[in-house]
Amino acid sequence: MKKANDSKRTYMLITIPILALFVCFNTVPLIRGVIYSFTNFKGFGDYDWVGLRNYMDLFTDPRIGNSYLFTIKLAIVATIVTNVISLVLALGLNSKIRGKTFLRAAYFVPNVLGALVVGYIFQYIFTYILPEIGKMVGNKTLSTSLLSSTSLAWIAIVVVCAWQNIAMNTIIYISGLQTVPEDVYEAGDLDGATGWKKFRYLTFPLIIPFFTINMVLCVKNFLMVFDQIMAMTQGGPAQSTESISYLIYQNGMEGGSFGYQSANAVVFFIVIVAISVAQMSISSKKEEQL
Amino acid sequence: MYEKMKARINWPVTILLFIGLLTIAFPLYMAIVIAFKQPSEMTTSISGILSLPETWSLSNFAQAMELTDFWRSLGNSLLVTVMTVVLSIVLHSLMGYAVGRNKAHSRFYNIVYLFIVSGMFVPFAILMMPLAKQTAEMHLDNWTGVILLYVVFYMPMNLLLYTGYLVNIPIALEEASRVDGASTWRTFWKIIFPIMKPMHATVAVITALAVWNDVMTPLVIMAGSGQNTLPLAQLTFQTQFGTNYNLAFASYLLALVPIIIFYVICQKQIINGVVNGAVK
Amino acid sequence: MRRENAISAALAVAMLTAVILPGCGSEGDSGVTEIEILQYKPEAAAYFDRVEDEFNESHDDIHLTISSPNDASTIMRTRFIREDYPDIIGIGGDINYSYYVDAGILADVSDYEGISDINPSYVDILESLEIVPTEGTYGVPYAANAAGVLYNREMFEEHGWEIPETWDELIQLCEDIKSEGILPFYFGFRDTWTCLAPWNALAVGLAPSDTCQNVNAGETTFSKEYRETAQKCLELLDYGPDDPFAYGYNDACTAFANGESAMYPIGSYAVPQIKQVNPDMNIDSFVMPGNNDASENTLNSGVDLMFAVTEACEDKDAALEVISFLLEDDNIQAYIDDQNAIPCKAGEFELASELDGMASFIEAGNMTDYQDHYYPSEMAADALIQTFLINGDVDTFLEDFDTRWQRYNRDIIREVQQYNEEHGTAE
Repeated sequence: MKKANDSKRTYMLITIPILALFVCFNTVPLIRGVIYSFTNFKGFGDYDWVGLRNYMDLFTDPRIGNSYLFTIKLAIVATIVTNVISLVLALGLNSKIRGKTFLRAAYFVPNVLGALVVGYIFQYIFTYILPEIGKMVGNKTLSTSLLSSTSLAWIAIVVVCAWQNIAMNTIIYISGLQTVPEDVYEAGDLDGATGWKKFRYLTFPLIIPFFTINMVLCVKNFLMVFDQIMAMTQGGPAQSTESISYLIYQNGMEGGSFGYQSANAVVFFIVIVAISVAQMSISSKKEEQL
Repeated sequence: MYEKMKARINWPVTILLFIGLLTIAFPLYMAIVIAFKQPSEMTTSISGILSLPETWSLSNFAQAMELTDFWRSLGNSLLVTVMTVVLSIVLHSLMGYAVGRNKAHSRFYNIVYLFIVSGMFVPFAILMMPLAKQTAEMHLDNWTGVILLYVVFYMPMNLLLYTGYLVNIPIALEEASRVDGASTWRTFWKIIFPIMKPMHATVAVITALAVWNDVMTPLVIMAGSGQNTLPLAQLTFQTQFGTNYNLAFASYLLALVPIIIFYVICQKQIINGVVNGAVK
Repeated sequence: MRRENAISAALAVAMLTAVILPGCGSEGDSGVTEIEILQYKPEAAAYFDRVEDEFNESHDDIHLTISSPNDASTIMRTRFIREDYPDIIGIGGDINYSYYVDAGILADVSDYEGISDINPSYVDILESLEIVPTEGTYGVPYAANAAGVLYNREMFEEHGWEIPETWDELIQLCEDIKSEGILPFYFGFRDTWTCLAPWNALAVGLAPSDTCQNVNAGETTFSKEYRETAQKCLELLDYGPDDPFAYGYNDACTAFANGESAMYPIGSYAVPQIKQVNPDMNIDSFVMPGNNDASENTLNSGVDLMFAVTEACEDKDAALEVISFLLEDDNIQAYIDDQNAIPCKAGEFELASELDGMASFIEAGNMTDYQDHYYPSEMAADALIQTFLINGDVDTFLEDFDTRWQRYNRDIIREVQQYNEEHGTAE
């Protein structure tokens, strides 16, 4: 009995200070931010209370609407692309191959580069190299820069986001695959399971926790996409790639509508939490089923 | 048959993987070529962009190092990154343990868990202004403040990772230790913390990368005190009316070296040791 | 067990102390006045470092620090929010200045005698940036820039092309250049802000200079005032590269430097970037001729750097002494040589040869401020213009411009109209 109490106290003594630190530097400033969302604060000087005006405005502002559409579209497509490719890569890198250590390190490099740097490099590729290739193969869509097309620029962003995020996802999948004990495969071999079936019914169920982590990470990263936009398109062409984070930063910090963009950030926060909670509860249900 | 497969190297996959490497090598090649060229060699034609520099001179690198005050900025970046990583591993694994072992049966810990994890989704832009004010009020507009903030910012993600990993560690292990009379605190350090090694490596890599490349936090918190981290110093290559991509890329490549070394060290940890020995 | 709990307790206490206890140092009081300038042009950092040294060598009672950080706008905002004001800020003459005056951050320096040496056109430009007419002077204009058309002087001489003075001549010139197989203009419209360069240069000649104030006062709309500017801006696209939205500012500078086009509609600030690629290039500029009556042309020029003393500055005389030092003729000349800028101070200064074609306008004081200095940045007028140039729909663009203006300027409009009601309409 005494022991149980002691361990309870230890848990508490660990939790409380760390929680306090978190509240101090995350919750408190968040609350201050929420307070600003009810004002017309510019980021300096005086401000007035404007009640719910900022929130009402959000729903009538076509720019906000478009930024949500763009960001969500980007997040869904990039998440799918990233996860499919990194799962395949992880399976490859986890099989019996030559130069495993080198390949694993090499495929991780994109993640080491800062997003801004990657953005600049790809900007060159999309502006100068891809159009030349497009001309060579005679493809009309490809022979102009993707970044200057209002209907295609988002694809360029997807490519860059995926290119960079695949690395981390692959690592997480590889560590997941490592937890799959060899005897599972041995058992599978005896049953004559091969290829896709082996993956679908033996491997995949065992790495679902890692799949969940990857999905949540991806959705979060892509919904909050900022650096890539900053480096590559700055919201253009024709405002077709303004992500929500970009708008919040650009107008709230650089511009003078801090109050309004705080309201945007609050709504955005609620939306992402909702999406992620939904995501996690779906996949944890999946986990239980298996 | 199984024995045979185990020994044989899968050549098709190896070859495919090496071909796939081109998608990574090509952009890197461009970064390297740009880093070695002079501004006057920059053109807008494809052949000019892909061509090798006229001379492989290190002058861009030397100039970039001078402009960014490289060694000092590097020192600052290393200090912040190492401190953040060490604190994150210690505090977040502790938190992961306390929360992870209790959230299934305790409402309080479950709420704490969800509360902190949801912090992952707070857009930084909304925190920026209030944090700038708050850190100044607390006299934390310095390295200590930046490091503390990082520990808080990456807590949600790392807590998620640690609690997730903890599920794989059988409670039986701890109970054995408790029966031997060890306290919870001691059990954690003696049993759990070492077993979490692969997750420490993952957390270290994720946190270190994020910190290493982050511009915003030091920019907002230190607000131009002259103490630069590398990414902050690299802003110097880019102003609205002029960017020297050659110097910028030379500097980016320089900043890449330490973190690649770090990754290569951690890689074995992440991928190898997972639960080995403990579970089996 | 007690001991382990004690450790975790100690850990908790240590962490909380780290959070709560301030670790601050105090500064010595030596009788020397500290003056800090925070200026927003990092590209001029070398110049300011030198001036800082020179000032400190020659002054014992004042110690000057000039910081030229890389992301000054964010740094300024964060320092304002923590009420840690520098003594002097160096900013541009744009809407941020309007906001700062309105927020009461800046001090009135109308008693400062140095103001009388400043070219009155630039003092007026600052005056008209005030959201509502505010008694006093809040900034000392230091350097200006100008936007128009940069051209490749060698190429022009070789082909015998003349500098156009009217819109028709400009179009004719473009046709001539095109017929020789040369690209007349290069654009870097992927970077949205570059869309504003031709836009501003045309608008100063085609729309009244107080358009934005009048819209705020509810007396006119942009649909009325900007139609011609929009149409002509669109017309220029015919003489640029096939896909102007594919290239950014740097690409355009590089292309122009490599002789891929004869002209480049951008500001004087682009010259250093162009010369970085081609140091020997012979560049000149001319005023964008928006009108067909040459006498109506005016140079698009605004305050690029001004110094403003903050209200929080404790020793304003010392701050003004620093500004006087910066305004010494030698220092101004050094600055304009370094930055290819135009001095705001009246007097004999030697302008860069790249500004030859604009010199007569500068001497005559025929200058009009950038229209975009009145646009709030969150309205993203540059992106609106980019959108318009892509789809070419003048009517929708003007309509959007008006709607968006009303949305983002709501508080300003209310303030202006309230002021006008109280004081009678200004004009």
